[in-house]
Amino acid sequence: MAYYFISIGGSGAKVLEALTHLCVAGAMPTREDLNILAIDPDSGNGNLERSGSALNQFIKFQNLSVGNDTPLFKTKMTLIKPLPWNPIEIDKTLDDLIGFQIYKNSALGSLYEVLYTRRERNTKLNEGFRGHPSIGAAVLAKKYTLRDNRNTQWTDFIQKIKQDTNNGGEIKIFFAGSVFGGTGASGIPTIARLLRNDLSKNDDNSGVRKIISIGGAFILPYFSFTPPADNDKLFAHSENFLTNTKAALKYYAQRDNVFNAMYFLGDSHVTHFKRFSIGAATQKNDAHIVDFYGALAAIDFFNQPADNSRVYNCIFHGDNDKFSWSDFPALEEIENGDAKNFDLRKRFAKFARFIFAYVHFIKPVLRGLASGDIKDYQYPWYVDYFKDIDVVNTGAVKNFEDYTESFVTWLKQLETLPDREVALIKSSMFAARPAQIVNAEDFSSCDGVITKPELTLHEIWYRLSEDFKIYAAVNGYGKFLRRLYEACDAEI
Amino acid sequence: MNRTVLTIVQIAIIVALTVACGIIAYFVVSSVTGHQLATASGNMAFSRWQEKFQSLVINTGILSALCALAWFVLTRWIFKINTPRGIGKRTIWAGLAALDLIGCIVIPQFYSSTLGIKTNFLVTVIFIIAFAGVGYWLLTIYTTPNIFKYTPVGAQLLRAGK
Repeated sequence: MAYYFISIGGSGAKVLEALTHLCVAGAMPTREDLNILAIDPDSGNGNLERSGSALNQFIKFQNLSVGNDTPLFKTKMTLIKPLPWNPIEIDKTLDDLIGFQIYKNSALGSLYEVLYTRRERNTKLNEGFRGHPSIGAAVLAKKYTLRDNRNTQWTDFIQKIKQDTNNGGEIKIFFAGSVFGGTGASGIPTIARLLRNDLSKNDDNSGVRKIISIGGAFILPYFSFTPPADNDKLFAHSENFLTNTKAALKYYAQRDNVFNAMYFLGDSHVTHFKRFSIGAATQKNDAHIVDFYGALAAIDFFNQPADNSRVYNCIFHGDNDKFSWSDFPALEEIENGDAKNFDLRKRFAKFARFIFAYVHFIKPVLRGLASGDIKDYQYPWYVDYFKDIDVVNTGAVKNFEDYTESFVTWLKQLETLPDREVALIKSSMFAARPAQIVNAEDFSSCDGVITKPELTLHEIWYRLSEDFKIYAAVNGYGKFLRRLYEACDAEI
Repeated sequence: MNRTVLTIVQIAIIVALTVACGIIAYFVVSSVTGHQLATASGNMAFSRWQEKFQSLVINTGILSALCALAWFVLTRWIFKINTPRGIGKRTIWAGLAALDLIGCIVIPQFYSSTLGIKTNFLVTVIFIIAFAGVGYWLLTIYTTPNIFKYTPVGAQLLRAGK
């Protein structure tokens, strides 16, 4: 089995961010590596920067020795570089990218001039396709098929997938992006079709399609924005989102034969973003519950058997204005060849407690000890686990600490959706930055369930100080993280 | 060993070791300098002196055991950790150690006058070794609950080898 996740555009990047956190928390079905490819013509967009940051942090500490009998850091992530793949060179317009000068005054050139307005053709595409899928489809198809020494990205990628198929495993490729914007709407159908065609080439009729499954999370409109009135640049208009979506859904309903599984995700309640951005670093939209569902869709797809049958599932949530743990699907994992269900709430809550406990309890102590402000006898876990670790110069420590910040920030955004109640982790846990727990009593019931016996901060500290019996090979900083993670288990 | 069993065992160790320290202190003092002190105590019969000295040992032992048990109770049930700063409690441990130490010095000096027996410097030294040294310091090193296990001075070296 080999997993591939391809995020396309800003919405895809947000799903990637949610998926990264779920992978770190151990929600993937198996221990297989997850290969990540991101496509975005707007390399500097804030959404991608945030997801790339969490992803890169995890990649740097994912090989810590925490043992192979725990969900923690279960799925290793591999980046397919360059990340992101940017089909557009700097300061290029659609005319430049298509090579319009060659076709000028020809029939093809004239057709092109009919299909695209002058503004669409002459706008520099540094900030992406600006909500115009017609531009994106043309550019992506052109760049995808361009195979020379400077453009080996797709050749290498296809080679890697074929190598995985030759090794006899199933291949699962999952796309995530919007159907209403520019990059996702144009990229998903274009790249998926081209990729499917490429992978089917040179194979017998029965082979590749059976062992390669392609799925996708298609994000439907769930936000709107108000652009400045005096802005005469080319940009996305949220009032066009529904029209775009209608056209996209019609296409997938009538024309698509590429996808084995399609997950359409949206929200009837449209979140209004006050901050408008054409693209680049200022395009930094807060995490949304739709992203979380998108990541769960990827996990569900990776867990489905690879066949060509199409299954139509629908998921509902009980309260229109509220999301809680009961609104998420049951997940399954395979350990030692046996499939078993696991409770996402319990696993996620344990992971959240682990992160909060680290940020609240461990990080300030490590800082204080490194600066000599405090004495180590107060911290039995430090004496037991950290004496041989150079906390200041060990990259994994810093990367993990940076990751904890990313996780808490993401979770806080998810929890504080405007006009919606998301009851995953108590919002009071985010009362102080960075994740300092103000009310200690919130910790034990952070997921809304009161643990019995109560898993207090004191109890975590107590467990950390006790002997830790483990049969898996663990050492160093990884051993400590594993100890802390196990200490956060509400069921022991 | 689960936490409840460990707690019971640790309390039992505190009581048992304090009793053992008392017995050892009693016999060491009796055999080394008992006769001399009985003579110095107005030619008191040795058995009579032993009776009174036993009372001295028991009272010092009780003080020592109370100090060790107080530390145990505080660290096991009273002190709660919700923030990572100011949690060593070494001042409290040292305060109880000082109380125990003072008891080992004061009780032989003053309580002996009440009992009408004489003591000497050796009795004070043996009481300090038995009750403040073994009965509190060493005992708290090995019986302090894990959460404060390195608070007693020297615990890191003896308990963790670090």
